[in-house]
Amino acid sequence: MKVATQKSSGAGGSLRGRRVPIRVLTAVPICDGHDSPIITVNFELVQHGIEVIYLGYHRPVRDIVRAAIQEDVRAIGISSYNGGHIEFFSDVALRLRKEGAAEISIFGGGGGTISPADAKIMKRHGTDEIFFAGTPLAAMVSFVKRKYGKTPNSKLQTPEKLQPPSSKRDRVLHTLKDRDLARLLTAAENTASFRTPRSAFRTPMLGITGPGGAGKTTLIDELVLRFLRTGPTTRLAILSHDPSLLEAGALLGDRAAMIYSQNDRVFMRSMGTRGKAGGLARATERALRVLQLGNFDLIIVETAGIGQEALPFRQMGMKTVLVMSPDYGSRLQLQKIAMLDAADIVVVNKADLPGAKTAAAEIEERLARNGRGQSLVSTRATRHGDAGVDRLFDTIMRSQRQ
Amino acid sequence: MNALGDVIEAVENHRRFVEREAERARREPAFGREFLKRLKAARERAGSVATPTGLKLPRVALPDTDEPGEVARYLLGEGLPGEFPFVNAAYPEMYLGHSDAGNGKPSVEEPTRLFAGLGLAEDTNARFHFLTRHQKSIRLSTAFDGPTLYGLDSDADGVFGKIGEGGVAIDTIEDMERLYAKFPLGDKHFSVSMTINGPAPVLLAMYVAAAKRRFGPRVVIELRGTVQADILKEVQAQNEIIFPLDASLRLLIDMVEFTTKEMPRWYPISISGYHIAEAGATPVQQAAYTLSNGFTYVDLFRKRGLDVNRFGPRLSFFLDCGLDIEYLALARVCRKLWAIGMRDVFGADARGQVLKLHTQTSGRSLIAHEFKNNLTRTAVELLLAYANATNSCHSNSADEPYTTPSEEYVRLAANAQAILLDESGLFKYMMNGLSGSPGMKIVERAVEQAVLEEFEELERLGGVLAATDLRYQRSQIQAAAHRYERQINDGTRPIIGLNRYRSDVADTEVPIVRTPRKKQQLQVDRLKRFKQRHRPKAGPALDRLASVVEKGGNVFAELITTVEHCSLGQITDRLHQVVGRYRPAI
Repeated sequence: MKVATQKSSGAGGSLRGRRVPIRVLTAVPICDGHDSPIITVNFELVQHGIEVIYLGYHRPVRDIVRAAIQEDVRAIGISSYNGGHIEFFSDVALRLRKEGAAEISIFGGGGGTISPADAKIMKRHGTDEIFFAGTPLAAMVSFVKRKYGKTPNSKLQTPEKLQPPSSKRDRVLHTLKDRDLARLLTAAENTASFRTPRSAFRTPMLGITGPGGAGKTTLIDELVLRFLRTGPTTRLAILSHDPSLLEAGALLGDRAAMIYSQNDRVFMRSMGTRGKAGGLARATERALRVLQLGNFDLIIVETAGIGQEALPFRQMGMKTVLVMSPDYGSRLQLQKIAMLDAADIVVVNKADLPGAKTAAAEIEERLARNGRGQSLVSTRATRHGDAGVDRLFDTIMRSQRQ
Repeated sequence: MNALGDVIEAVENHRRFVEREAERARREPAFGREFLKRLKAARERAGSVATPTGLKLPRVALPDTDEPGEVARYLLGEGLPGEFPFVNAAYPEMYLGHSDAGNGKPSVEEPTRLFAGLGLAEDTNARFHFLTRHQKSIRLSTAFDGPTLYGLDSDADGVFGKIGEGGVAIDTIEDMERLYAKFPLGDKHFSVSMTINGPAPVLLAMYVAAAKRRFGPRVVIELRGTVQADILKEVQAQNEIIFPLDASLRLLIDMVEFTTKEMPRWYPISISGYHIAEAGATPVQQAAYTLSNGFTYVDLFRKRGLDVNRFGPRLSFFLDCGLDIEYLALARVCRKLWAIGMRDVFGADARGQVLKLHTQTSGRSLIAHEFKNNLTRTAVELLLAYANATNSCHSNSADEPYTTPSEEYVRLAANAQAILLDESGLFKYMMNGLSGSPGMKIVERAVEQAVLEEFEELERLGGVLAATDLRYQRSQIQAAAHRYERQINDGTRPIIGLNRYRSDVADTEVPIVRTPRKKQQLQVDRLKRFKQRHRPKAGPALDRLASVVEKGGNVFAELITTVEHCSLGQITDRLHQVVGRYRPAI
């Protein structure tokens, strides 16, 4: 299978010989829950080497544009089945321009609900292409590859102001905007030799890891809600990892399940692991150095679902949280989880499941034997205002102050 | 064990019971004769009818056998029309007498239902009056626009352009008054159906409050209608849920508790497979998830302390009918499994055992390419729906892949039903001429087996709620949707005009119904004035609502007061603060 390519951009040269996946964001507009078509399209794009950041359904323009900018995608794909598409698509284009991100392209479809006459108007207002009912999936994939496979224009060069600042005072002044930060992240992700401008900020970082399905993303979103409540100007960043398919694209879908992280005070970036095992990507540390330029109050790093042997945050200088669900198997299986020794805080999420109390007792015993003062918290992240998540949040805040 | 496990067991017990009885009927002549006598009596009861061509036929088709085992199997395993387990029909007489009673008007209620909703409340009201101008009984079926379905106000950020699109915009009790203006809300020949789920309790509260404004408090007990309010299928398929599932279920149960006591003629939930099928489910998945959702609701209502014999008869079902062969018997299987579960697991009496079914032809089967082919697709689906003895039916308009149906195609869709029921002789003389053919029975057995296997999988996952939490139904539906797309793409699923017999002739453009910007602006302005007028009382009303939620009172009863001063969006916002927001599942 041929992998879609895009010349890498940004400072510091290119990744010679390695293909950089095209990144697109897909979403369904506000008041529209028809997600079946876009999920099929996502799947097809990912199979053909494209990194798809999926934002989910019922999403307003501002969430879509914010996410597209933060993720530095080449294009936004919108699937609209509930009418109002002329307004919606042009609002997206308008807002992209307003935010200085006009080079992010727009394409979309809506079965038969978008007429050819509508499509003409939408194309005049900044949409590249509308796919009508009956368009083969292969045609959509080849359109995305053809149209967005190349670096669009010179505007994508890293702006001058992103050069390393010369004095500490300079550095403080350069709290980067979302757009610039996102562009630097792209450069950092695609370029092994990328040199990060030094940051004056020392933002604390928090690593969150655990097996797939333990509820990491939900838990993070609930922590974000509590963190944002600590102050009206509190800002935070999330660097979220999802697995890439073998030699292919990735479905980066964490945003779709997030409610509170769709906020101007939250900068979120999704990364595919791009062939690296252990829950993080080769570019993770570079990306974290870039995020330091954002002057956030906290940076959260979420790994992809990890296996028993993984120790993703070794020597990265951050507090770490291991999120587990009670169904890890026997006590013997528990002994094999390397991260149980390394984590500062262990969470047993889904505390309402049968077996949660047994799990908490077994883990507590293990942590006690470690004798490192690790904390254990039981949570039910899917419950609104869960007291367990409140406790976890307090524990994290205390650990950050240490 | 969950209720579903008990249902599986009850169905297996029933199957064994039928086989035992059939065996005994063969072995013991006296026992067998009893069944033959019952069949004979049914034949006599059915009477006969003469067709216009002079043929004399029985009004109800019954098995043409006098082998006692077979007869026992029919009477116990399928049941006469209107008898347990209701495989053949919910009632002894369906569609019969539908022909003219001499005055050009049907003598019984028409099973035809037409879904409408467009623009602002007054536009939909006008459409309702147009659609029902010749009908004796008035049955209004209401579609709401996107912002309303998501509990948002028309002045919410980012919804302009969607106001009145695909359904009617309702923000306040005043919109609700306009929507059903000049209709006799408490009349026994009048009913409304509201297709709304996430904010269903708020919309129904607006309806009740609007009716009270016009007809006084005594009208409440007389109100007839249906609100969809099926929140489980929203999580599993349609994505129109706005509060977390546990909170949504609590609001629903509060509403059902209220209607069971105060609005005995109301159907407070329409257990819907339609949207499950439209999201891509196979027919078997549609049946399995819909029925299992239904049993879950019954279990929840029962746990609230409601009497199954009071709420049971007020449950109804809504299924999709597409072109797959499973639809030859899908509704028959559903009626049977529901009846056995309700009788043997939940102890419902005869009225609560009957699965009352509204069918809609498949929207997903309609294709934009050469869209007039959709007339034929819908006609075939209608035939399948009536062959399955649906209680009522909505036929889709051919132009639906493009737009809110235009009047021309709405009329053609309604006429298709009239042609099938009135013009053709298929159902009007002999109500079930197509039921019970060998092929139908083979499909029936295969579907029933597959549905039970789905039940078993749900049970293994810990029941419907646990499986829903694990996104099981959702992932199964999505996988089926992808399979379907792939089949269309590779041509193994022929779609005429699309991947088979495709013509190069471009479709003539269909005139598309849109809500003009000026109208949308009018709705926003009206809403703003409402909020202005009610500002002093809105805050305290919302506080009272929040306190009822927190103290565990009946939220629905309070909503009927809240809607007097608060808009849908204001109520949604306040509820979000108290119970949280729904976290979307992928």
